[in-house]
Parts: sequence; structure tokens; C-alpha cells
Amino acid sequence: MRVGGSDYDKYELSFTIASQCAGSTSVHIRALMPRYSGSRFRGGDGPRMPQQVPRLVFVFAVALLAMVIARWYLVPDTFGDIGHYRAAAVDSIAARPMKYAGHQQCTLCHSPIQEARLASNHKGVRCEVCHGPAAAHIAAPMEVKPSIPRGRDQCILCHAFNPSRPTGFPQIDPVVHNPLTPCKDCHDPHAPEPPVVPESCAACHGEIARQKLVSHHASLECEVCHAAPVTHKSNPRSARPSKPTDRSFCGACHAIGDPRAAIPQIDLQTHGQPYTCWQCHYPHHPEAP
Amino acid sequence: MPGYIYPNEFELQWGLLIVLYPYLTGLVAGAFILASLERVFNVREVQPTYRLALLTALAFLLVAPLPLLAHLGHPLRSHEIFLTPNRKSAMAMFGFVYAWYLAVVLLLEVWFDYRKDLVLWARNDRGVMRWIRYALTLGATDLSERSLRFDDRAGRVITIVGIPSAFLLHGYVGFIFGSIKANPWWSSVLMPVVFLFSAIVSGIALVLVIYMLTTMFRWRKVDVACMDKLAQFLFYAIVVDFSLEALDFIHRLYEAEESIQILSQMVESRLFLSLIVLQFLMGTIIPLIMLALVSPGLRKGGFVRLPPELKHLTYLVAAVLIQIGIFSIRWNVVIGGQLFSKSLRGLTVYKVQLFGIEGLAMSVALLLLPFVILWALVKVLPPWMDEAPGEAALAAEGPAAGLPSQG
Repeated sequence: MRVGGSDYDKYELSFTIASQCAGSTSVHIRALMPRYSGSRFRGGDGPRMPQQVPRLVFVFAVALLAMVIARWYLVPDTFGDIGHYRAAAVDSIAARPMKYAGHQQCTLCHSPIQEARLASNHKGVRCEVCHGPAAAHIAAPMEVKPSIPRGRDQCILCHAFNPSRPTGFPQIDPVVHNPLTPCKDCHDPHAPEPPVVPESCAACHGEIARQKLVSHHASLECEVCHAAPVTHKSNPRSARPSKPTDRSFCGACHAIGDPRAAIPQIDLQTHGQPYTCWQCHYPHHPEAP
Repeated sequence: MPGYIYPNEFELQWGLLIVLYPYLTGLVAGAFILASLERVFNVREVQPTYRLALLTALAFLLVAPLPLLAHLGHPLRSHEIFLTPNRKSAMAMFGFVYAWYLAVVLLLEVWFDYRKDLVLWARNDRGVMRWIRYALTLGATDLSERSLRFDDRAGRVITIVGIPSAFLLHGYVGFIFGSIKANPWWSSVLMPVVFLFSAIVSGIALVLVIYMLTTMFRWRKVDVACMDKLAQFLFYAIVVDFSLEALDFIHRLYEAEESIQILSQMVESRLFLSLIVLQFLMGTIIPLIMLALVSPGLRKGGFVRLPPELKHLTYLVAAVLIQIGIFSIRWNVVIGGQLFSKSLRGLTVYKVQLFGIEGLAMSVALLLLPFVILWALVKVLPPWMDEAPGEAALAAEGPAAGLPSQG
């Protein structure tokens, strides 16, 4: 195949398709291969169309052709019939085997568990949310057993602390809330107790409590420094405990003149003005004297 | 975390990679517009940076879609953007904007500009480089005067087409953000224009830095006139960019829509460092003052006359500060737009991961990759004027001389 008119046989952009004997066909493609004869580089009164044009046309034509072929093979037949997706996807999804059985099926055999769950705060959490698809289990109850989440991963999907979750929703920090202990050791997932008012601050602020325990402030109760409204325990974010705002509060123990010599003492008038003590010193784990 | 946010606003959907994307495309558009100064507007002084700017634009353009591919997480599906185009989605049109800019503008312009040199280099090269360069000519080895004239004309036409294309490429990125009417931080008709001018600023600054550093590392003398002209254009571009951003800001303040309180709160707290310190102070005001004093933007020779080395160092520092400022602009747009709640009553936080597909390490790698590509491009297509085969080489070999036989 020659490209263009009589002048263009100078270009290397030529294809020779030669049939050969024995039924085989070989294709000699000499496109873009270097030819070293001087005639290939002659200019002046040469071809009417610049040499660059057919080369670029060829490159773009190949790219376009590749695109058309790719579209032909890769775009599904029913794509775009009823929207920007494969219309037949609806049928193929509908034809897939059912994996979920629905919680009514579970109730048939596990009614006591279901009753307990429906009476608890987990009444909206269906069985298969935690135990996975159960259609196979329904079909062959003894052969196929649903999974039982025994770790912490499943529970923290809903109960890890997230500030955007509604106030009052039970949330914990998985890093500090009884780390490594499976949730079900303390909580029954089929009948979780409604959140109870914690007795000590450590129930929620465990990390601080543990840190304070190994510090010089271990003997101080939280209430010494923080005044917590009663509602803080039942609705922690709406009523926050106070913090010392006055230097003289820490000065009650740490100001010069206190007879307890083991306690670090400073001159309140000169030391670290005008900051409040906890802006420099972490009171739950103060540095050693 | 102060205030109230909706549950789906706790985690930011667009992270550091999406900050990178407009930053990279901005550099592409800016570098190309700088190249067009010489080609279309005949600014002869910046001629030493013409090819470097083109290669820089190409290197960054090749990397520009990678943050998107990494963010979306399905690179093997990326071809579908071409195969099943969704004409109703501005985002889905990215593939075509990108393909147009890459194939029809940048590659063609580089090809037409380098064809003559590629042929001459291929004739004198040995080994693999000879074949690479010959392959890049696509076999079009005609170096007749007529053929070279055609190259020049075609390159000029492509540059003229390329300028609106560069505007399209980066204006499009701004359009994506500006057209999100539910987000008061993004929704602004000025967004595409602001993006465009910040792109020009960043592109000129980047080429200035690359030109200066590469010239120094090649132990050549920096072209004083070129540096002055670059600094002059950089000054003008940053003035326009700053004015547009100030206009946008003042307009928002004067309009004082219901979102103004939470946006003010966000600027004063979450974005204080990146917007007030990095973008405004370090990235705009300081370079603006430096360039106003030293560059010939306002007065021939500048208000403060410095020795050339110190002047160039000032330009370099200003350009680096501008890069930091432009990156901060992208950060403030992308991240800032997600830091406040649609309830307009709360702010969330964004913590950058160190590793992982959306992490800092990946972003740094993607920022360095264009320089690796640029290094490879420079090896094959040296942009330096002193390495280009001159008219003497052409005259010596003649337009019709063939490639020498191998070996």
C-alpha cells in the first residue's frame, strides 16, 4: 500500500503485503524504518505536502483506530440504554445467588436470642450485620455455620469514638478502653446493657487515670482539681468538668512556704508568669522534682 | 473539635493527593504559557527557557493524573473515561481535556520544535540514543528549508491553539471547584480565573527555579536579560493573581452570606498557618515586595540595584516562596473546603497520613517524579541552546544528508 500520490513513494511509510507460498502470508511493514539513501532526505522541489504531515496523520490515525477498536471490544452492548451504565447489569445482579436470609429466618430457630435482642438497644441491628450472610446456613444449618465475631473489630465499627456521632451514643476509645479484651467478655451483644452512669472517672478517662497512678499525683482524687457537674456522667459532652484557672490553686501545695519539703515549691510571683500552671506542667503526670 | 458537624464530614474525602492535582496541572499550564511568550508574543529575552518550559510542562503533565489515579484506587479502569464518556459530568471530561492538551498541544509542539535537532542528533549519535532519537522523528527526516519553515509555522499555530488550551486545562480545574454550589468556600465564578492566574505565577516561578539551578549545575552563565524578563513577568502575574484573590476575598466579606462566620472562624483557626502565614504573607506579600524592589517590573533596573548574583538569588528565593504560596493556595482550597460543616456550625480537622496511598510519602514521591521525568526528557531532548545543533551543522550535512550507517 502506498500512501498519497506519486510523490509519496519517497516516504518510508509504506506497507508491503506479500502473499507467500505454502499458504502462509507474511506482512512486511517498512513503516517508519530508516532508509539511508540520500533521496530520502532531499528537499527543495520535493513533495508538495510536507513530509511531517502523513507521519502525524498516521500516528493519530493509529491512536484513533485503537480507540475505536477498544470501544468496540470493551464497551458492553447495553451500555447507555437506560443510563450511564450497562443496562444488563440489573439482570446480572438479579441473577446472582442470594446470600442474605433475613432476620426472620434466624428467629425460627434462635427465638430466645432474638427476643433478647429486640428488647435491647441492638433491636435495630439485624443478625446478619454481625454474623454475615446466612442464606447458606439456613439451607444447611449443620454444615455451614455463620461467623461469630470474637474480637473488637466488629464492635468498634459503631462504637469507636467519633465526634460526629450523636450525644449519648455509647462510644469508646479502642486504644484506651480495656485494650486487647474482647468486647463480649464484658458486654452481651444480644442484650447490651443501656449505658450506665460510670462510678469513677477512670471508666471513661482510663488513660489519664493510669497515667496518674504512676505519677506523683497518684494520691489525688480527680475531684480535687476538677468540679464535675452531676450531669457530666450521664451526658458528658453537655456538661464539662472545670479545670483550675488560678495559679494559686496549684500554689496551695507548690508555693514556697509549704512545710512538706518533698513537694516541689516555687515562687508564684516570679515563676512562669502569666501562665496557668497546667499550660506548662502536665498535672496528670508532672515531671519529677 | 468545636461545634456541630454531620457524620459524613468527620473524615475528609479529598486529601493531600487532590491538593497535588491542581498544583501539578497549574504548573503545566503556567510553564506552557511562559513558553508561548517567546513563540507567539516574540519575547526574545525568555528564549533560553522556551524549550525547558515545554519539557517542564510535559514532565508535569505526565504526572498530573497520577494523584487522581492513586486517590480513586482503580487505575486499571482509567481508560473507561475515554471509552464511555459522560458528557454531563465536568469531572468525567477531564480525560478529553487532558488528552487534547497532551497529544494535540504539548507533544506536537515539542515534536515540531525538536524535529530538526532530532534528525541532526540522530545522524551523529551512536548506540541506543541514535535509534531513540530517530524513532522520535517518526521518520520525517526532511530538513529542507521548506520543511523547516513548515515546522516553525506549525509550532506557532499549535502554540496559539495551546494558549486557550492551557486556559482550558487549568480553568477547568478551577471550574470543578467553582461549580460546587453547595460549598460556599468553593462556589465562585472567579475560581477558574483565580486558578488560571495562580497557575501562570507558579509555572513561571518553577521554570525560573529550574532554569537557574540547571544553568548553575552546568557551570554556565545565567542569562541576565532572561532572568530579568522572567522576574518581570512573574511580578506582573503575581500582581494580577493577588488582585483577583483580593477581589474574591473582599466580595465574600461584603456579601457576608450566612457562611461568613464559619469561614472566618476557619481562616482564623484551621487555616491560619496555611492561608495567612504561608499563602498571604510568605507566598504573596514577601515575594511581591522582593520582586517590586529588585526586578524591572516597576522600574528599569529595579528600585534596589543589586549585583547580578544577589539579584538572581533574590529571584530564586522569591520563586521558591511563590511555590510554597501556590501549594498553600491549593491546600486552602481543597482542604479548606472540607474543614467546615455544611451545617455552618462546626469545624473538623485533617490529619495527613505519613504512609499509605493517600499519605505524605506518596505525595512527595509524586512531586519528585516530574523532576525524574524531566531529567530523562532532558537527556533525550537537551533544551540548552548551546547543545542544539546550529545552522552550521545543518549547512555542513545538508538537508538531504542521510543517517550514517551504523557503527
